Amino acid sequence: MTSRRPQTLTTHLIRAGFADLTRSATLWNDPDLVAVCDGQADEPLPVGPDGRAVVLSDRAGALLARLGDTADPDLALLQLTRLAGASPDLLRKVLADDGPGEPADVGVQATPVPTRRLLRVLGASSALGDELVRRPQLLDVLTDPAPGTGVPPQDVRAELLRAVDADPDADVPVAGQEAASADPSSPSSVLDGSSGSAAGEGLVPQPSPSAHPSSPSYSDRLRRAYRARLLRIAATDVTAPVATAAMPAVGAALADLAGAALEAALAVARFETPGHEAVRLAVIGMGKTGGRELNYVSDVDVIYVAEPAAAPDGEPGDEDHALRVGTRLATALARVCSGTSDEPRLWEVDAALRPEGKQGPLVRTLASHVAYYERWASTWEFQALLKARPVAGDRALGDAYVAALSPMVWQAASREHFVEDARAMRKRVEDNVPPAEAPRQIKLGRGGLRDVEFTVQLLQLVHGRTDESIRSATTLDALAALAAGGYVGRAETGQMTECYAFLRALEHRVQMFGLRRTHLLPTDDADLRRLARGLGMPGGDELTKRWKAVRREVRDLHEALFYRPLLPATAGLSEDEISLAPEAAMARFAAIGYRNPAGAMRHVEALTEGVSRRAAIQRQLLPVLLGWFADGADPDAGLLGFRKVSDMLGSTHWYLRLLRDSEVAAERLAQVLSSSSYLADALARSPESVKWLGRPEALEPLGAERLAAEMDAVLSRAEEPAPAAQTLRALRRRELARTGVAEILGELGPVSAARAISDAADVVLGGALRVARAEARDAAGIPAGAEPAILLVVAMGRLGGQEMGYGSDADVMFVHTPAAGAEEREASEFALAVARELRQLLSAVGPEPPLPVDADLRPEGRNGPLVRSFASYQEYYERWSSPWEAQALLRARPLGKWAPAGGASGPEAWLADRFKGLVDPLRYPAGGLGDDVVREVRRIKARVEAERLPRGVDPARHLKLGRGGVSDVEWTVQLLQLQHAHEVPGLRTTGTIPALYAARDAGLMSEQDAAELREAWFLASRLRSAIVLWSGKTTGAQVDRLPHGGQDLAGVAAVLGDVGTGPELEELYLRTARRARAVMERLFYGEE
Amino acid sequence: MAPMDRQQEFVLRTVEERDIRFIRLWFTDVLGVLKSVAVAPAELESAFTEGIGFDGSAIEGLTRVYEADMVARPDPTTFQVLPWRGERHGTGRMFCDILTPDGEPSLADSRNVLKRQLARSAEEGFTFYTHPEVEFYLFNQPKSAGEPLVPVDDGGYFDHLARGSTHDFRRAAITMLESMGISVEFSHHEAGPGQNEIDLRYADALTTADNLMTFRTVVKEVALEQGVYASFMPKPLATHPGSGMHTHMSLFEDDRNAFHEPGAQFELSKTARQFISGLMVHAGEITAITNQHVNSYKRLWGGQEAPSYISWGHNNRSALVRVPMYKPGKGNSSRVEYRALDSAANPYLAFAVLLAAGMKGIEEGYDLIEHTEDAVWDLTSAERRSLGIKPLPRNLSEAIEAMEQSELVAATLGEHVFQYVLSNKRQEWDAYSAQVTPFELERFLQVL
Repeated sequence: MTSRRPQTLTTHLIRAGFADLTRSATLWNDPDLVAVCDGQADEPLPVGPDGRAVVLSDRAGALLARLGDTADPDLALLQLTRLAGASPDLLRKVLADDGPGEPADVGVQATPVPTRRLLRVLGASSALGDELVRRPQLLDVLTDPAPGTGVPPQDVRAELLRAVDADPDADVPVAGQEAASADPSSPSSVLDGSSGSAAGEGLVPQPSPSAHPSSPSYSDRLRRAYRARLLRIAATDVTAPVATAAMPAVGAALADLAGAALEAALAVARFETPGHEAVRLAVIGMGKTGGRELNYVSDVDVIYVAEPAAAPDGEPGDEDHALRVGTRLATALARVCSGTSDEPRLWEVDAALRPEGKQGPLVRTLASHVAYYERWASTWEFQALLKARPVAGDRALGDAYVAALSPMVWQAASREHFVEDARAMRKRVEDNVPPAEAPRQIKLGRGGLRDVEFTVQLLQLVHGRTDESIRSATTLDALAALAAGGYVGRAETGQMTECYAFLRALEHRVQMFGLRRTHLLPTDDADLRRLARGLGMPGGDELTKRWKAVRREVRDLHEALFYRPLLPATAGLSEDEISLAPEAAMARFAAIGYRNPAGAMRHVEALTEGVSRRAAIQRQLLPVLLGWFADGADPDAGLLGFRKVSDMLGSTHWYLRLLRDSEVAAERLAQVLSSSSYLADALARSPESVKWLGRPEALEPLGAERLAAEMDAVLSRAEEPAPAAQTLRALRRRELARTGVAEILGELGPVSAARAISDAADVVLGGALRVARAEARDAAGIPAGAEPAILLVVAMGRLGGQEMGYGSDADVMFVHTPAAGAEEREASEFALAVARELRQLLSAVGPEPPLPVDADLRPEGRNGPLVRSFASYQEYYERWSSPWEAQALLRARPLGKWAPAGGASGPEAWLADRFKGLVDPLRYPAGGLGDDVVREVRRIKARVEAERLPRGVDPARHLKLGRGGVSDVEWTVQLLQLQHAHEVPGLRTTGTIPALYAARDAGLMSEQDAAELREAWFLASRLRSAIVLWSGKTTGAQVDRLPHGGQDLAGVAAVLGDVGTGPELEELYLRTARRARAVMERLFYGEE
Repeated sequence: MAPMDRQQEFVLRTVEERDIRFIRLWFTDVLGVLKSVAVAPAELESAFTEGIGFDGSAIEGLTRVYEADMVARPDPTTFQVLPWRGERHGTGRMFCDILTPDGEPSLADSRNVLKRQLARSAEEGFTFYTHPEVEFYLFNQPKSAGEPLVPVDDGGYFDHLARGSTHDFRRAAITMLESMGISVEFSHHEAGPGQNEIDLRYADALTTADNLMTFRTVVKEVALEQGVYASFMPKPLATHPGSGMHTHMSLFEDDRNAFHEPGAQFELSKTARQFISGLMVHAGEITAITNQHVNSYKRLWGGQEAPSYISWGHNNRSALVRVPMYKPGKGNSSRVEYRALDSAANPYLAFAVLLAAGMKGIEEGYDLIEHTEDAVWDLTSAERRSLGIKPLPRNLSEAIEAMEQSELVAATLGEHVFQYVLSNKRQEWDAYSAQVTPFELERFLQVL
């Protein structure tokens, strides 16, 4: 309320909401403005100088309040002053229309009155204000009480046709017909600025303004009429009580106006094109024009259809000729709308959505359109076609077009690559934002307008096939229909509608300001303030906050709309939640990539039914999870795996809490389950491992020492040997799962993963050895501490090199020596009993996965004794040692007391030292290898290549034994070890990669060669792991083979994550292996 | 695949209007041999939409890529009516792309190899044009393989033979080619007896390669009609010149010839120089592709007719890469000619590796060695060494070894085709080496 205290002008301005006080104070006292207002008021406007108290008259107060009621009072005042200068009389008329005596503090009124319409427009749109200053006669539009929205489209069409002197009632309206312009009530005579059109004076109208300077061309007259109508729509828009509520009507009015403009432009084009009668041309509106939800400024998307017109004798006309004329008409139409002219252009007429895009012909026959969509169109083109609506030209042809093509739109979801296409389309929606614009984009990106439209259209494509009621081209109508049809939840629909209307209203106001095509939220404070006030918010901060909230909400709503209705009715949904009918649910599952929708529905039903807390939480979570599974390589497996885990863990409180509280854990769970059968199985069997997903640090390998401590504790509690062994095997299974999860989530590299798997095997072997010794003692009646033999397990092969994979066996050799005072034979028998028991414990059938213990690398292989005494080894190696045994010994690593050998003390450590003392001279021979031995090693390798490779396998694709596979790299490194380990200490290692680096550092191979070999070994090792993780099979021929195309290759590529698509992975592996093979042939076979 | 439907409609319409009874779907195996599947008009529509499935395991180079099932999808822009099949109830043909059952381009399709390489250079803004000069021999049909070859005439270079059968032959062949939309630039009698040359008009490399496949078929068909026998074997007669396929190449950026720079030496732009140096640096590696048979090397090393050494020159007929005389005012005709290529190469693979080698020169900015004005054949080996002129591989075995080391060729062909070509060529070399030749019998049998 006005204070009784006298106020300065500045205070009045501040109170009214002005920002630039100095300039506005000057403007307020502008002589032109004062003159306009003086002319009709009893008292002059107060012109008191700054700083002195002034009392506003009621009139002045009302005007000031009206200005304050606009989006931008400063702008409104500035434009008002300019108008006062440009056309004082017309302005006076507008202001006079206002009833006097209204209270000064009334901001909003029930009915728009001219002053309010004028000021609101001036405050919201600088461009429309400029237009008013340029052509003050447009002020008449504001005094006309007719609203801009809700006008029948045919009225708008008639108005624009009359503006170009075309007869709206004609079947084929052509510009320049005198009859139309003779009508004195025609708005064109008012709006084109000349009293009486050129045609009315009996002159032939000239389309070119230069030819007839005094009279505007038809193109200009069309553009003027368009702008007058645009001003009317804007006036209705800015005076609407709630901008978001008015949005749909505004969008429809703008689309109708665009359609009318296209019709009038076509009339002008016909006027300019002799012989136009040869063609029937229909203009199909696409995009937002087709959807009757247009922006203020946006390209108008169209498609043209043409047919030959029947000749006067009824014969069908020539098609080629018709297409040529049609193309000329379409080209002329575009020029009328957006060519260079005296009046600003309307918008670009964009025909890029037509068949074949910009390469295709501009105009096609209906049959040609149909043929294209039947054979060539891609999914996105059908999505675009959903919006098609005849907007101008030959109505019957336009209707025929829609009738012929729309059935195809609704078959699009059953097309072959629909799922992939839809996914790619969604990705385009999300990704297509330049990073610099991302924080300001209203239209693109996640949470933008496109996101809403895409969600709605995808739902329409999926369900519109069987339900005609949801086929509306208008986004909000479609959304409402989807809700009414039970395809999306009502509550979510309400929220989505609100968000969409807000974003659209925001976009409208951003564009209206400068009448420019932009979808970016401005950054300038003044701009933001204007937008906020225009949308009924106090200031820019509130606007930005609301905008961000809306974007977030839209992102979540996609999930809610798309996935939540997939929950079955049995899920005990609340009242505003809906459940899809089974057929609709199947369609939707199939559309997002589930290969077995019926199975998916059963799983979802099982997961959500009932009143348990688990079901309640899963109801919340599943909609999101279903989307995440769909992003994975195998959605069905993901869902199945989730159900298994859930059946196992459903009642444990931590599991539910984890899923509810940790979005990261849930997403990781979905990722693991939908890309790895191996882990889906592992997680189902070892449910506690699900916990790791919530804690990244839990995915780090425990390390041999912590595992050993755990094993110690397990064995101390155990009483029976068989259960103890199962516990040990379970421990290993858990560690395999941990490693797999870490690998698939990209937390662990291939070397660390192999090390973790090997550590687990070390510890399990150590534990099993302890159990086996106790068993053997019991069987022989030997008391603890009186064992007749010291027994050593020597790790060989990949176990020795600490490079095991998920399916590797444990290669070992057993060494014993009699304990002090024990008989040789007694010791030998005891050692054999222990070794047998050990193998039995780890390989016996049982619930936990076995660790097959393989002793084939021992002297004499399978023909030799399983266990030998140290003395026997000594004797054997002195007499027989062959090159391949020396080579195998390179990987020999005695397993100490579950800790690396040398770190422990005691008899085993002593024996380990002696054993190393025995084999070191063999594997690191002094002086290297003689030529004959080198030759022998090469010969063995050549034989292995020829004989070991399974028949029918392409050598280039075998990851282990193939060209450039792991075995090529290892043999190369091992030969260098045998040759040079005596002089290069770094080569005395059981690991392939450490030995490779040592060889490189010692100059035994070039940096380049070492890099090629390492790449090949890494990639082949990673592939072997990935194949196990993807397929869930640890044994069998396919484990070592690069899959042949299709889903397996794609799945393996997805597990690896950083190698591109399946075919790219294939090319990468073949290339890497080929290069490694070339290095190997040079370094190993000595070929130059 | 979208921008094809007008062509496709055109094909369907033509088949209907001209009462065509069969459509041959053509594709090329890895060795450059044309393969053909015939479909009836009724199957054509589904061939366009779904392709025609076939068992790839019987086709050279298609085996073991994926499962043997393959799909051939015709490219409607290549539709032509085969003129030798008669006007009524005619036969049409189209080239096909080979796809896997998943609809991915097959890794083993040599047409796809060229398409991929063309796409790579298109990313750099270049279009690749080629213009081949194809040489071949006409023989009076040899009755069996053992009999001596009898050329159809005794003419020489550019000879006009009165009532010469080759004259008729060329006229018939050219008419037929033109009727299939293949423009012929030039044709004349070549140096050897019965040897002819026909030059195809320059076109983008994919079209040219397709045209070459058609060309070989047309020439053989016309020869058969006239009771003679045409051969594209690189060196059928030891004492007469072999049949090469000198190929002129140019790169265009939009409508501008990227090889042309007014005022530069030979009017050659930097791009052209780098392209030439790319060809020279990689010439050895790509020879197993451009000269793919044991017989090819008889031509390359058969005396003063084909380039045996890696050099370039302006209008130097002994050079591997020749820069033809520039015609003033014809900026768009600037080009370089690669003279090693022979008529038996797989044109898709050959154009792909030539383009790859040239592009490599541009990408890496290779420096160009000096051009050679001397006839390289006449230099002593010491002179050649001092000039840095290296020989091309002397036989298929050397060529295989050079190719084996080549990352460039591997990347261009893709790993599958690369390995396939290597192993196939090794087999060819082994089989060849196992021969006991008349030469050996003649020279050694009695003496030793």
